[in-house]
Amino acid sequence: MPVWIDPDLCNGCHGSRQPPCLRMCPGDLIVKDQTANKAYLKYPEDCWDCLPCVKVCPEEAIEFHLSYQFGAKGAKLIPHVHRTNDTITWELIDIHGAKETFTVPTKLIPVAIDEKIEEAEQAIDFSI
Amino acid sequence: MAEQKVIHTDILIIGGGTAGCMAAVEAKERSPKSSVTILEKAHVDRSGCLAGGMNAINAYINKGETVDRFVDYVRSDACGLIREDLVRTMAELFEYGVKRVEKWGLPILCDEKGDYIPRGRWNIKINGESLKPILARAARSAGAQIYNWIVVTNLLMDQDRVVGAVGFSLRSGALYVVQAKATIVATGGAAGLYRPNNVGDASHKTWYSPYNTGAGFAMGIRAGAEMTSFEMRYVALRTKDTIAPTGTIALGVSAPQINAKGERFMATRYADIGGDGAPTPYRTYGPLMEMKEGRGPVYLDTRGLSAEQTRALRAAYLDMYPSMVLYWAANGIDPAKVPIEVQTTEPYIVGGHCQSGYWVDVNRKTTLEGLYAAGDVSGGAPYKFVSGCWAEGVMAARAALDGMAQSPLPHVPESQIRLEEERAFAPLKRHLRHGVTPPDLEARLQKIMEQYAGGASTYYEMNEEMLGIARTHLAQLPTECEYLVASDLHQLMKAHEVIDRVDVAQVLVEHLSFRKETRWPSYQTRVDYPKRDDANWLKFVNSRRDKSGTIEMFTRPY
Repeated sequence: MPVWIDPDLCNGCHGSRQPPCLRMCPGDLIVKDQTANKAYLKYPEDCWDCLPCVKVCPEEAIEFHLSYQFGAKGAKLIPHVHRTNDTITWELIDIHGAKETFTVPTKLIPVAIDEKIEEAEQAIDFSI
Repeated sequence: MAEQKVIHTDILIIGGGTAGCMAAVEAKERSPKSSVTILEKAHVDRSGCLAGGMNAINAYINKGETVDRFVDYVRSDACGLIREDLVRTMAELFEYGVKRVEKWGLPILCDEKGDYIPRGRWNIKINGESLKPILARAARSAGAQIYNWIVVTNLLMDQDRVVGAVGFSLRSGALYVVQAKATIVATGGAAGLYRPNNVGDASHKTWYSPYNTGAGFAMGIRAGAEMTSFEMRYVALRTKDTIAPTGTIALGVSAPQINAKGERFMATRYADIGGDGAPTPYRTYGPLMEMKEGRGPVYLDTRGLSAEQTRALRAAYLDMYPSMVLYWAANGIDPAKVPIEVQTTEPYIVGGHCQSGYWVDVNRKTTLEGLYAAGDVSGGAPYKFVSGCWAEGVMAARAALDGMAQSPLPHVPESQIRLEEERAFAPLKRHLRHGVTPPDLEARLQKIMEQYAGGASTYYEMNEEMLGIARTHLAQLPTECEYLVASDLHQLMKAHEVIDRVDVAQVLVEHLSFRKETRWPSYQTRVDYPKRDDANWLKFVNSRRDKSGTIEMFTRPY
């Protein structure tokens, strides 16, 4: 499974009907079980490995996995998006356990915790 | 009848991606009082090709280069056939688009003098992980009305004029009827026409966005728009398994291709057409022939890179294709010690790399009144990439503003909306026991295309007889589409994605059959016409589907 939402860490973004991971998936592949208050990847076979869901999760509850057919389990790649500055720190652990980190510049664009479905997006709290 | 939402707008943009977001900003800035509406299939913050990010702008006029030289280069790279007017006008706007997006917050790598750092002749390096949210925020701030999760199923017509579009909400199931004075189609190209490289939970581990399923081509084909050059498919050379872009390695650290014996086969076997700098189709065809003739695998030779270089290489992939970095870590691959294996992808139809798409005038107006096209859906201008899509978004917006000023109020008969509503929702209403599911039909389509229309398993080769079989099998599929079933709105979207690809595939096969030469080996390998034939075929192959469904083929001069 390309990405996996850890049910122990996912808090459903509290009462969010459409949490960020669900909204940022370009394939509409993540759904939220509103009763259990957990999000999950419903269609793993359609995942593109593009990672917006992983990067946007405020709880870092979404793990990025390679499809098993591509290589052994054990290696990890974890993006830590800094919510206060324009960088991402990627933590890389290879199959031998060696760790390496990369801090890469980006542009922080805030993502709201929920969003109404049918309203058109207006110019709201974002200024250029 | 579904709940219906009717929207009236001056300009409708179908698809809020690279071209669509830029078109929205341009339209609002030039004409603040005009209303601009974006219908987006996913969420505009992370939709389409840029969802994962980008690490380079691959079409840019670097210091010391000129637009003229860019046009010459693109003509040569496309084996002699391009719309020079389109390539030139987009190149003239690279600077405009890049500077704007830099102002909106995109980090572009600069040297100590403040000049952009080139990565190859026409490329500059960026930290573009957030490129898509940056564009979305700009469109939002400019005042565009953005509707997310709207799957557009067809254009709205007033006689032969496009006056908007119809779609459904992936969230509420409401029918969206958008009437517009001018419409810009910017939906991207088409993946998923052929069998993908990987299976199982990696079947969408494609290079091109698997969510770009040719909707914009299909709605144009159904409305009778003229299309060009579908036969110039795009077959990319990509890293083995992860299907990650190779420019990051080939250009980023100047790694040449080698075969299993360590031979630099491009420099030896393809010296007459430029060796490692041969036109892009040959840089796919060359390694493909090595593999076919038993000299594979093929690699990009990264051995000997310094520790600093390999680290920079991995950092560059994190901005665009993080799975490459995890793949190396999971398989114990150090690019400084072992060369990076490459493979070729399934064929895509994408007007931003090749030139398949709408036939447009120099202002990006299509052959349909009221309809403009920008980005991967627009034809005739290869080597577009991100910055060319921005340029076309800008031009389409300007032309749409000019066009709408002269546009009379549209008249859309209610019957047309009801017919489209019926067509759009039909898969939800059929009985599941007797239906064909979207994955079933997709598998059928991909099997036909893979085996008879030049898929990867036949080394992309085809002849008239194979294409004839593809044509015969494909002819059954529109009827099969009438058995498509969907159990929810997500499956309804999947159903329309396969309906659209069937329409695109039929046109594609006619294009492949019509061009009786091999101009772009691997993209379009006609084993029965193996040579390039400038005397007869230095011209565009175009098509138009009439109301009866017949695809008319014809040529346009270079």
